[in-house]
Order: sequence, then structure tokens, then C-alpha cells
Amino acid sequence: MDFNQRKRELVKEFSPMLEKSSLVSKLWYFVLIAIISVGIYAFYLQFINGHKVTGMRDNVVWGIYIINFIFFVGISYSGAFITGVLHFFNGSWKYSIARIIKIITVLSLIVGPIFILLCIGRLDRLHYLFIYPRIQSPITWDIIAIMTDLIGCFIYLYLTFIPDFAILRDTTDLKVPNWQKNVYRVLAIGYQDTTSQRKRLHKITEIMSVMIIAMAVVAYTVLAWIFSLTLQPGWNSTIFAPYFIIAGLYSGVGVIIITMYLIRTSFKLEKYIRKIHFIGAGIVLLIISLLFGYFTFSEYFSKWFSHKTNDVELLETLFSHYFWEFIFANYIGVLVPIIILFFKKLRTIKSVTFAAVIAVLGLWLNRYLIVIPTLETPYIPIQDTRPEFIFYTASWIEYALSFAGIAAFILMFKLIMKFVPIIPISGIIDQERFEEKRIKNLGEQNK
Amino acid sequence: MKKVLFKYPLITSFIIAFLLSNVCIAQENDVSNYRMGFNLTTVKQPDNSRLLEVSFIATNKKDRKDKIPISNAEIKFFNILNEEEVLLGAVNTSNEGIAQLTLPENQNYLIDDDGTINLTALFEGSNAIDEETAEISIKDLHIELNLTEIDSVKTVSVSAFTINKLGEKIPAEEIEISFYIQAMLSKMKIEEGTINDGSYEFTFPSDIPGDINGNLLVYAMVVDHDEYWNVTQNKNIKWGIFHSHSIKEKNSLWSAIAPLWMYSVLTIMLVGVWANYVYTIINLVKIKKEGDELKLKI
Amino acid sequence: MENNKIEKSGTNRRNFLKLGFISTVTVATGASLFSNLINEEESALSGEKIRLLTPEGKIVEVDATNINKYPEAHITSAESRKGIPNRKFVMVIDLAKCKNARNCVESCQKGHQLDYNEEFLKIQLMQDNKEADPYWFPKPCFHCDSPPCVTVCPTGATFKRDDNIVLVDAERCIGCKFCVTSCPYSARIFNWGHKDKFKNTAIPYSPETGIPGTEGTIMKCDFCPDLLRQGELPHCAKACPMGVIYFGDINEDIVTNGEETVRFSKLIKERSGYRYLEHLGTRPNVYYLPAVNRQFPLERGFDVDEDIIERYKNVDYVKELKKQGKI
Repeated sequence: MDFNQRKRELVKEFSPMLEKSSLVSKLWYFVLIAIISVGIYAFYLQFINGHKVTGMRDNVVWGIYIINFIFFVGISYSGAFITGVLHFFNGSWKYSIARIIKIITVLSLIVGPIFILLCIGRLDRLHYLFIYPRIQSPITWDIIAIMTDLIGCFIYLYLTFIPDFAILRDTTDLKVPNWQKNVYRVLAIGYQDTTSQRKRLHKITEIMSVMIIAMAVVAYTVLAWIFSLTLQPGWNSTIFAPYFIIAGLYSGVGVIIITMYLIRTSFKLEKYIRKIHFIGAGIVLLIISLLFGYFTFSEYFSKWFSHKTNDVELLETLFSHYFWEFIFANYIGVLVPIIILFFKKLRTIKSVTFAAVIAVLGLWLNRYLIVIPTLETPYIPIQDTRPEFIFYTASWIEYALSFAGIAAFILMFKLIMKFVPIIPISGIIDQERFEEKRIKNLGEQNK
Repeated sequence: MKKVLFKYPLITSFIIAFLLSNVCIAQENDVSNYRMGFNLTTVKQPDNSRLLEVSFIATNKKDRKDKIPISNAEIKFFNILNEEEVLLGAVNTSNEGIAQLTLPENQNYLIDDDGTINLTALFEGSNAIDEETAEISIKDLHIELNLTEIDSVKTVSVSAFTINKLGEKIPAEEIEISFYIQAMLSKMKIEEGTINDGSYEFTFPSDIPGDINGNLLVYAMVVDHDEYWNVTQNKNIKWGIFHSHSIKEKNSLWSAIAPLWMYSVLTIMLVGVWANYVYTIINLVKIKKEGDELKLKI
Repeated sequence: MENNKIEKSGTNRRNFLKLGFISTVTVATGASLFSNLINEEESALSGEKIRLLTPEGKIVEVDATNINKYPEAHITSAESRKGIPNRKFVMVIDLAKCKNARNCVESCQKGHQLDYNEEFLKIQLMQDNKEADPYWFPKPCFHCDSPPCVTVCPTGATFKRDDNIVLVDAERCIGCKFCVTSCPYSARIFNWGHKDKFKNTAIPYSPETGIPGTEGTIMKCDFCPDLLRQGELPHCAKACPMGVIYFGDINEDIVTNGEETVRFSKLIKERSGYRYLEHLGTRPNVYYLPAVNRQFPLERGFDVDEDIIERYKNVDYVKELKKQGKI
């Protein structure tokens, strides 16, 4: 088989995605930029007026910013974990989704930390973290972990992009601006797909994928520790680290499924992102939702059973003030995906996606219920304080910035898709090369 | 200038009246609501100097919590015997309404035959505030404080006496006396009793920490006595047993420097990860080199 | 008249006290004799303005002598990390005497230039169990020996000093609020927005005074180290009309509430002093004396403004009282 010919074919197949934007796509850009602009305006207001424009107050000092932070970073870590694991699987199916997951990993790791920055009262003093570091602080660990992980994920993403950059560089008839071609040329760093280059690239990609898995576990554990190392009744739990990892995977897989669905429908990639992917991801989501449900149950069950005063207070708040949120997050958000995914007949592309949406929304609320009610029920009951300081309600500024974060995530995703094919051409080539070799080997054996 | 003003009190008061004429009427009402408090007290201090103190504070007649100190009022202190009058000094009150005058140990007082010293404080009055005087009669009491260890028992003893005209010591009788030790923020009473036959003695408690060197400042004080007013004496002694409650906590979670294992674990992890990044980048450079060589060949 | 013999002690009372403290007391005798007087004056002084009467009978308002004794006693950020040598400060709160008079809260607010609604010290209405009588519970920062807030601070903006005090350096604080969430006693508050008072730079900032405040940073009870350096009690202890709050040095083993000076160890032993939530292992430096043999009925504490009573509306006992129409 002539692989160069095959490369050209594939580029031709994917080039429309890179070359032009449809009207719908342009509308998307407009809407996303509008949402981000509102977010930027909200940030401006917060920066000028201080944090009093948020709903956060002396008792609930962390609001939905920190929830978005855990949420996005969780998606990222689970993405890293899954890509790392996928690397060790064989089969052409994995190439269809591998790049989607990697992009999700990197982008959510960019968006997530922005939310923690919004939580910080003095952004102008951010450099103090490096001038006066204290390594006893879990925040310091978290900053080190996030930065290291972000760099690692960037490197990993880049490694998998190199062969595609090389292919795009070599495709002279691609109708993209000259600067874009130049970028391809530079980023391809002279990769000519020689055997030795290929071998070298494979070797470092393999090591990096192991690294990425380990880092995802460590980094998300550290994030969970920000909560569980405090003395707060709702947070000081030994299972928080594994619970967070499972929760991260739950939302991560959910977001992957939703993204797969959106890309498949809007770019007509049914040939690559097939039902088998949804079924497979659905089964993974089923397993994780069972684990997640199990962790959630044992977390709250042990609080209820041992009924320490402060735990009981927390549970009472959860079941009164937060009743519907609790039901949605921890009953519907777990049981509905389990029911949909458990029965083979119910597993269709749409239903799996629906289950993923429920899972993601439920998980976000679950994070909300971990952060906010705990801060509302401290050891010393909230008294002798302004009434408006007792319960937390997010202000429009916080919502605007949250949606801006999501919009930024989607916008960056779309821009990356404009720049490189979402289905890795090099991956498909690799797979076909591998298949050919195997057939050849079989043939020789038969002789 | 000041002297000139005093020489012509009439002119001075005219000037003041002129200067204040606009505001005085408005303020007069205010002042009339207040009752003036003018008190003189005296303390014989450990160095045998004598502190005279006047507190000049106005209290609202209706609201007794509302108190305003009279500031910058000139208070004159006199020593009076029969017709003879000696000005001891003049001091302006502070913003707290306090005027203090310290008289040295060798101050010559006018003393009557009983050994009584009459002291007077005077505020001469202004247009708005009436003249105020306060008078006290005191006798000069001498207190000697002795801190000795008798058979390894720490003993505090005082002798109190007055000196008559002939220079003879006359032991004091029936004086309530209290003993204190000085703490950082206040004095703590350790003993109280009555001086009889000019002396009082007690055993000092054995478990008082004192400062870092075990030093203690012991006070003997006579307070608000009818004849002697306030008399204080003190002495430093190394009787304390200092017990530091500071536990040296090095490298803890809350100290500036973390436990060492934290540094090593973090370093190992970071070095591991970053070494891998560097390795990856080196390999990328190698790939690039190979690519460049290929290009040259073509 | 011999003018040269007259020794004018024109120094004001505060200098007098300060000198007394620094030179380990030579002339402090006079001061303690008039302690009653001082207490009354201090409450007026801790504000920004004091009222005075001139000899001419005019009532004037003047700036209070600055409490920080700037510039001679200004403590820089670096110095404030060390603490006062050989001291170990401790507070003892006698719950039997508290009647929610709130002088401590107000005087603290004045002394630290806090707004009406900002409290370093809160008065909780606690009830240990349904049968037990509720009691008023003043709650400052506990200045723990194992402070969780210091542990989690990523920049060292909050620190534990050798003299037991846990301070915040608002110039170092990045406002991550992690210390707020890690404090089990809810002792910390945050500056949510800009306020005009923050601009007042007449006296430069020192972590020991916390004045002026800074937007986007943390504040909390600081045991008033600026006053301690002058040998004075913290604002709250000084202001309490009931003598609820004792303060002192464990090394010296002496605490005082301004009127009464006692041995710390004896007080704790005899009155069964305890530390709140001891089981959390934070090792607080604030001790409580149980609310037994109460000096005032609890209801005296409701003799406050309506909006203050509103702050206790979620307490079961208050709900019950309201139902009965007693408040």
C-alpha cells in the first residue's frame, strides 16, 4: 500500500474542516464570543469592586468558582488518565476519540485554574506564591501539580500532533492561509516519518502516557486534599482522594461522550465516531457511575450512621435547605445513568449521551453540595453575624464567568479543530501500517 | 509673654473674652451641664520622690457616663503652713485631664509640729470654669522593704516609721499594707496585712516564675491611708523560678520551614517528572536533527 | 520659688505607661493607683477622636493620641514575625460573668477601625444540651499552638509567633481564603471590597495593628500586640465592664482582667478551665471558665438593639423565647 497516497486521501477527507467555516459554525463563534465578552465584563466589575460583587461572604468564602475549578480540573485529570490508558490499547477505534480526549484534557486544564484565580482576592500579588512559598500548604502542592501537569499534557498533546503537522506541511494543495502553513512547518520540526524518527516518537509518547496517568492520580489527589486535610466536618474524610478521582472520571467520561456526540453530528463523522464508541464509553460510564454511587453512599452513610453532631447538622442542612439539589445530584445523577446504561436495549447513541448529560450535571451539583453546605455548617454555629452572611447564593457575576468559562472551552476546542484534523491522520496510517504488517507476517507464516 | 499676661489679669481676661466671644455663648450651655471633678492625690514613690497628681474631669450632670477631661489647664501646686505659702510648681493638664508634679526626695516642705504637710492644688478659673482647689494633709511615712532568705525560707519584711523633728524613728502602727509582684500588664497581690509596731513579715510564695532570669519586682504599698496617703516601696530579687512554656517546634506544619521529609518527597517527585520532560525534549531535538539532515540530503 | 527644682512630668499618661513597661517598671506605681480612671479614659481614647474641655470652657474634639505610638514604636512586618520576647500570651474567658454587654465587640471594632458589621470577636449564644442552661460565649481567635490556618497558608501571610500570637500580614496575603475554610472556629473575616478607610495612611501599616485594612485580604483578632507592647490589655479585655476577659502571659503564670490579677494555673485548676473543641488538636490559647454560678441571668443579654437580637434568631432557645413572646 502506498501510504503517501493514503495520507493525501485522508487530508482531502478532513480538509473541509480546516479550510472553511460553515454559517452555523460562524454563528457559534459569535455566540461564544458574546458569552465570553459578558464574562470579561463581569470580571472587570469584580476586579474593580472587589469580591463583594460575588455571593461569597465570610462563612461561605468559596463559591461556584471553586466548584467550577474542581469540575474542570477533574475533567482534565480523567481525560489524562483515559488517554494514558488508551495508549496501551490496540485497534483503530481508539484513534477516533484519542485526540478529542487529549484536547479536552489540555483545554479544561487551562480553563479550570482560571476559576481558582477568580477566587483569589489579590490577583496582583499572585507572584507571592513563588516569592514566599510554603510547602506545607496544599495550595502550593496544587499549584505545582497543576503547572507540572499542564506542561506534561501540552507536551503529550504536541507529541501526538507532530506526525499530523508533518502530513499537513507536506500537503501543498491545502487551502489555508500561508501563516498557518508556516506554523505547520515549524511545529512539525522536520519530522519525515522515517523509521527511526517514528520509533523515537513512539518511545517518548509511551513514557509520557505512563507519566500522564501517574500525574493525573497525584494531582487530583492533591486537589481533594485541599478539602479533606482541613478539619471541616463535611470535608475531613479519608476517602476524599479516591472519591474525587472517581468523580473526576465520572464527569470526564460524561464530557467526552457529549463532545463525541456534538462532533459526530456537526461534522458528519459517523464513519469514525461510531456507535461502538458510544456503547464502549457508556459501559465505562456505567462502571464509574456504580463506583461513584458507591463512594457517595458510603461517604454520607457513615456520616449518618455515626451521627456526630456536626455531621448531623450538615446532613440536616442537605436534606432541608438543599433537598432537591441533593436528590438531583446524588439520586438522579447516579441512578438514571445506571438504569440507562445497564440495559443493553437502552444503550443507543442518544440515550448514552443523555445519560452523560445527566451525569455531568449531577456531578457538578454534587461538587456544589460538597463545598457550600459544609461552609454553611461550621463547628461553631453561625451567629452574631449579618443574616445575609449565612447562606450562599451565587451572583450573576459568578454565573456569567462560569458560562464564559464553558464558552471559552468550546471556543478553544473549535479553534483547535480548525487547525488540526480532529481524527488523527497519522493514527489511522499507523494502524493501517500495523495491519498490513500483520497480514504480511501471517502470509509468510502460511508459506 | 506669659508673664506679661499674668501681670495684667484684667487685660488678659478681656483678650480671652474677646477671642472667644462668638463661641462662648454657644458653648456656655454645654459647660453648665457638667459638674467639675477636681481631685488631688499623692504617692510617695520607691525612690522617695513624691508625685502629686490632679485629675480634672467634668462629668455630665444628667449622664454620669459622659466624662470630659479638661485639657491644658494650668494647675498650681502649693505647700501651705499657716500664712506661709510656697509654690511647688505649675503643670498643665494633659488630654486625659491629668497634671502630675514630681517632687524630689530632698524637697524642703513646710511641716507643722505634728509632722503634717499641707498640699494644695489650684486651678485659677476662667470665664467659663470656676476656680477649683483641692487640699490634702499628709505625713511622711518611710517604708523599708527587706527581702531575705532566712534558713532558705524566702522572707519579705517591711519596717514602717515616721521621723520626728528630733530625727528619731517612730514606728508606725495599724497601717494596712499590701504586697504585690509586678507582672507584664498589672500587679498581682500576694499578701495583705496590718503593720504593728512598725513591722510586718511573711513568707514569700515559692512557685512564682518571674521573668526569664527569675527576677521579680516586689512591691509594698500603702493605699489611700488617711494620714499617709499612698506610699510605695519596691525591690528587685531573683526569687522566681522561670519555667518557659515555649516548646521549640522546628520544622512543623505551621513553622516557616517544613518537615524535611516533605522537601525530599516533593523534590523526588518533581525531579522524576521533570527529568522525563527533559528526556522527551532531548528526543524531540534529535528527531529535528534527523529531519534537518534528511532535508540537506535532498 | 525655685523653678529649676520643679520637675515637670508633662509626658502623657501613655508614654508614662510605656516607659514603665519597657524599663521593667520604675515609676509605674502612680499608674496603677489610678487604674479606675485610666479605664474610663481609654474607652474614649481608643476611638479616632476624643472630646476635651479647654480651660476656657470650650468643648473641642481632637485626634486621639495614636495608639501605635508611631513612629517611635512602629513595628515593621519583619519585626512583627518575631513576637515579644519570652512571652506566651493566653486569654481566659469567664463565662459565668458574661452578659452580652458587647463592650468588647464595640471597643475591638473601634480599636481596629472595623465597621459596625465586622467583628473579630463574636458573642455566641451556646447551649451544650437541651437540659443545660444557655450561656453567652465570647469567641475571639484562639491563637492555636497548632494553627490550621498557618499550616495551609501558601505564602506565609499568616504566621505563628514565639509569643503565641497568630498574626496576619495583609501586605503578604493573596486572599485565597484557604485559612478561612481551614479554621474550625470561624475566626477569620475577609475584606470583600474597597473602603475609604483603607486609604488612611497617616500611620503606616503594621501587622500588629492591622490598620489600615487592605481590600481582598484576611483580618482577624490579633490579641492587640501594639497595646501589649505598651503594657496594656487588649481592647476587649480592657472594655469589658464585667471583667470577663483575663489576659496575660503563661510564662509569668499571671493573668489580669484589669481589676483583678491572678495566677493563671490556679485559675484554670480551681475553676476547671477548658479549651473549646479540645479534641480537634489545635491547642488553643484561649481558655474558658465554665458558666457555673452565673452572675447575671441570661436574659440580660437580650438588652441590646433589635438588629443584634436578630443575629441570634436561628438559636433554638431564642426561637422558643420568641414563641413565648418574651423577646
